[in-house]
Amino acid sequence: MTSPVLKFDHVSFGYNGRTIMRDTSFDIRSGEIVVLLGPSGCGKTTILNMIAGFLTPTSGGAFLDGRQIDGPGPDRGVVFQAAALFDWMTVAQNIAFSLRCARRSSAEQRRVAAEMSALVGLSGFEDHYPYHLSGGMRQRVGLARVLAAKPRVMLMDEPFSALDVQTREQLEEETLRIRDQTGCTILFVTHSIDEAVFVGDRIFLLTDLRTGDYEQFEVDLPAPRAASENRLNPEFIRLREVIYRKMLQRAPH
Amino acid sequence: MTAGETSPSRAKRRYAALAVLSPVLLLLVWTLLTVRGSVPPVILPSPSAVAASLWDMIERGYSGTPIGTHIAASLMRVGVAFMLGAMLGVPIGLLRGRVSSIDALFVAPSAILLPIPPLGLIPLFILWFGIGELSKIVLIFLFVFLIMMVNAQAGANAVGLDTLRAAQSMGANRWQVFRFVVLPSALPQIMTGLRIAMGTALTILVASELLGGDRGLGFVILDASSFFRTTYVFAGIILIGFIGLISDRAIAYAARRIVHWEGRR
Repeated sequence: MTSPVLKFDHVSFGYNGRTIMRDTSFDIRSGEIVVLLGPSGCGKTTILNMIAGFLTPTSGGAFLDGRQIDGPGPDRGVVFQAAALFDWMTVAQNIAFSLRCARRSSAEQRRVAAEMSALVGLSGFEDHYPYHLSGGMRQRVGLARVLAAKPRVMLMDEPFSALDVQTREQLEEETLRIRDQTGCTILFVTHSIDEAVFVGDRIFLLTDLRTGDYEQFEVDLPAPRAASENRLNPEFIRLREVIYRKMLQRAPH
Repeated sequence: MTAGETSPSRAKRRYAALAVLSPVLLLLVWTLLTVRGSVPPVILPSPSAVAASLWDMIERGYSGTPIGTHIAASLMRVGVAFMLGAMLGVPIGLLRGRVSSIDALFVAPSAILLPIPPLGLIPLFILWFGIGELSKIVLIFLFVFLIMMVNAQAGANAVGLDTLRAAQSMGANRWQVFRFVVLPSALPQIMTGLRIAMGTALTILVASELLGGDRGLGFVILDASSFFRTTYVFAGIILIGFIGLISDRAIAYAARRIVHWEGRR
């Protein structure tokens, strides 16, 4: 059993006197994909933002390899829903941004940009600007840009929810393929049950974070996980029904 | 092709045609007003009389000074003031947009200064900086600086939260965030600011040349008007107008090149 890369330890969070979450804990192990699933406003992005270091817990803490997180850093890259690419930089410059900030040589920046472009299927687009790319390709740049920094955990905040269904499913498969290839650990936030079951190793259904409650599901689908066939697997269909029924019970209105 | 859009080349031709048509129409109305003799020439001279004066100025100068010298004197004042105003206004504006304590230092002075008409400052500037180049340049500089600061600040405020966070989570330090994210995000607004500031600088030029001296297009206009040489007033106005047109087109062209991503996201 591998030790946890990330420890979310008895975290409470609130602002303006409002409690968003109370005493919430979980661990993420090396190389796994943990999905935070829940409707909007349930606090899943708040968790991601605390791990990213954008927000600070009111009490408790998030720990990466045992060290308390106290700000953003390249060991926890974020893929955003709207990509948030730098429109004034080419694809290669976007991908190599973390290396540029770390003052690595331009030869190394070019090498890593080419390597990561190949990994996410963007070879040949290195000199394009983001506005020349489709939504799916922009998200591929977002992925490559984070992977280039070799993060301990990749944080994905509803990364594919603005895309059409085909592109979305393609990128879900891509995410699994990249995990298999690089062994990276991923925290994935989504409100889509299908997406959660398809990409997740473990799913945390965030039922009520104000009491620190969530329900955990293990996904048991055959390797290679990236195979589209898995969407038709009886286990896929069973698990999504189980989660759907849970959500119906919990739906506040 | 979607409805309501025309092909790029046709759209471009139509744009060029309309852009030329409007000044031609103005010239036509101007000619009609003067040809019928309904307006006295000292109030509105005919285009041909203005053209003759313009030609006279180009050939023989104005009040003993070649027209090139007048133009150069004005361009130097506007140019120096414009460069200094932008070089100081842009970084301070960007900082105001990102650091609230810096914004607090500037918020009251800039809000108080901005609405003051340049003409109102002239008596003070004569007392403080004399009637040489300095007072003229400082007057233009002040307003370029204020305009650039406001625009750069608005640009810096417009940076997307996710874009900032993306940079931070890829290891950018404060300077790198500023240099690689805040500055480029603010560039569209900065380029717009440059166009507004150039227009304003040329407006204030005439006022600044009230501050003594015998050089400059503002001087030509003021001197000619005090002797009721209306055709020379118009000639001077046209020359300033041309400088305005050329500089505005130049900045707009540079903006399209530099801020190539604007409107294409």
